Amino acid sequence: MGDAMSGYSCVDHGLVDAILERYPREEPSLIQVLQDVQRAYNFLPCEVLTRVSRELGVPLSKVFSVATFYKAFSLTPQGRVIIKVCTGTACHIRGAPLLIEEVQRRLGILPGGTTEDAAFSLHTVNCVGACAMAPVVIVGDKYLGNAKAAGLAAHLTRGE
Amino acid sequence: MPTLTIDGHTVHADHGQFLLAACRSAGIQIPTLCDHPAVEPYGGCRLCVVDVTRPEWNGWCKMVVACLFPVEDGIVVHTASTRVIEVRKVVLDLLLARCPDTPLVRDLAARHGILATSYVRNQQPTDCILCGLCTRICDRMGMSAIGSVDRGAGREIATPFREPPAACIGCLACAEICPTGFIRYESGTARRKIWDKDFDMLRCPRCGRSHITVAQADFFAGRGGVPRSYFEICDVCKRKDLAVAATRLACATETPAR
Ligand code: SF4
Ligand code: FES
Ligand code: FES
Repeated sequence: MGDAMSGYSCVDHGLVDAILERYPREEPSLIQVLQDVQRAYNFLPCEVLTRVSRELGVPLSKVFSVATFYKAFSLTPQGRVIIKVCTGTACHIRGAPLLIEEVQRRLGILPGGTTEDAAFSLHTVNCVGACAMAPVVIVGDKYLGNAKAAGLAAHLTRGE
Repeated sequence: MPTLTIDGHTVHADHGQFLLAACRSAGIQIPTLCDHPAVEPYGGCRLCVVDVTRPEWNGWCKMVVACLFPVEDGIVVHTASTRVIEVRKVVLDLLLARCPDTPLVRDLAARHGILATSYVRNQQPTDCILCGLCTRICDRMGMSAIGSVDRGAGREIATPFREPPAACIGCLACAEICPTGFIRYESGTARRKIWDKDFDMLRCPRCGRSHITVAQADFFAGRGGVPRSYFEICDVCKRKDLAVAATRLACATETPAR
């Protein structure tokens, strides 16, 4: 079937079925469902949002509002590993710009971008609440404190 | 019945009434941008701020938005204290930075003595003040076709995925309630277009006037209870029918009395 909308028309609906099974089909479940969808697909595919809207009985406009409001949600596919460089005041002073530059140089992407092989996405974030160990870089689930540009390479390797 | 003092006047309010309504019933004007009788209060524009205190609070007072504050017995309200006016001015100053060319905002700001914003002027001026009237009326109509999208400075009113909204029936309620005319549409005898979605118009079978969209008639008829033909006849013709029926009824009741 030709879907004019995007190249993502072939999302695996099995994943969203399993997610929807876990929660009552009602509006208060929305954020939890979206969080699980984000985790399962690494982004919120349009068709899945439409499906969630229908199944939970929440208007699509409300689903889209929530999906665009929270930074934790993304409407474009994200890399398997998400790199967040903190640019809060403490991290900025202690060298965040150098860290961003290093990641950009190594991966060839700008903040907000994703590598072509979908291995990594790069984002800048505001204070992550760990100023004592500034500058902070978060690679996947790992918090790297007192991060140094030279030490980042080890965390930016593909395939483990 | 809660009794309160508003700007020195004693006011008797209804239980559960919001302070804004109580102020208005006492003849006190408070500027608002997001309040509308057709929709629930929202507290979005923050223009209706007032000071609330009690004699036993020793001069301490709190600032609340009048449109969302339920009246309480014994409160003392100041709707135009220096503090309140200052806050309103900040709100208008910010709004003017966002919407520097919007007549509604400019006039209201000017009336508060603000002729130019003291903040950085928006580089992409918009007429949308984010009052949320359009989304609330759309919810009220039962469509919820549009919503608030994104957040912070980038927040805007948009359709899901910024595409023509499936839920929209082309009723124009959003465009009509919008206080700044930000929501554009085209409406002719055959077609109507809003939110980039095209609609076929329905002609009244009596007078031939295009009065609603086919999608509106389908929607209203789909709710059940009333046949579709009821929605196909325009309001003008319906009123005529009613007038004719009323006259007949009047004649009929007059005759036996003679
Ligand atoms: S489009 Fe109009 S009604 Fe909707 S939020 Fe903006 S100003 Fe208010
Ligand atoms: S500024 Fe980076 S953790 Fe606080
Ligand atoms: S009228 Fe009260 S906040 Fe807008």
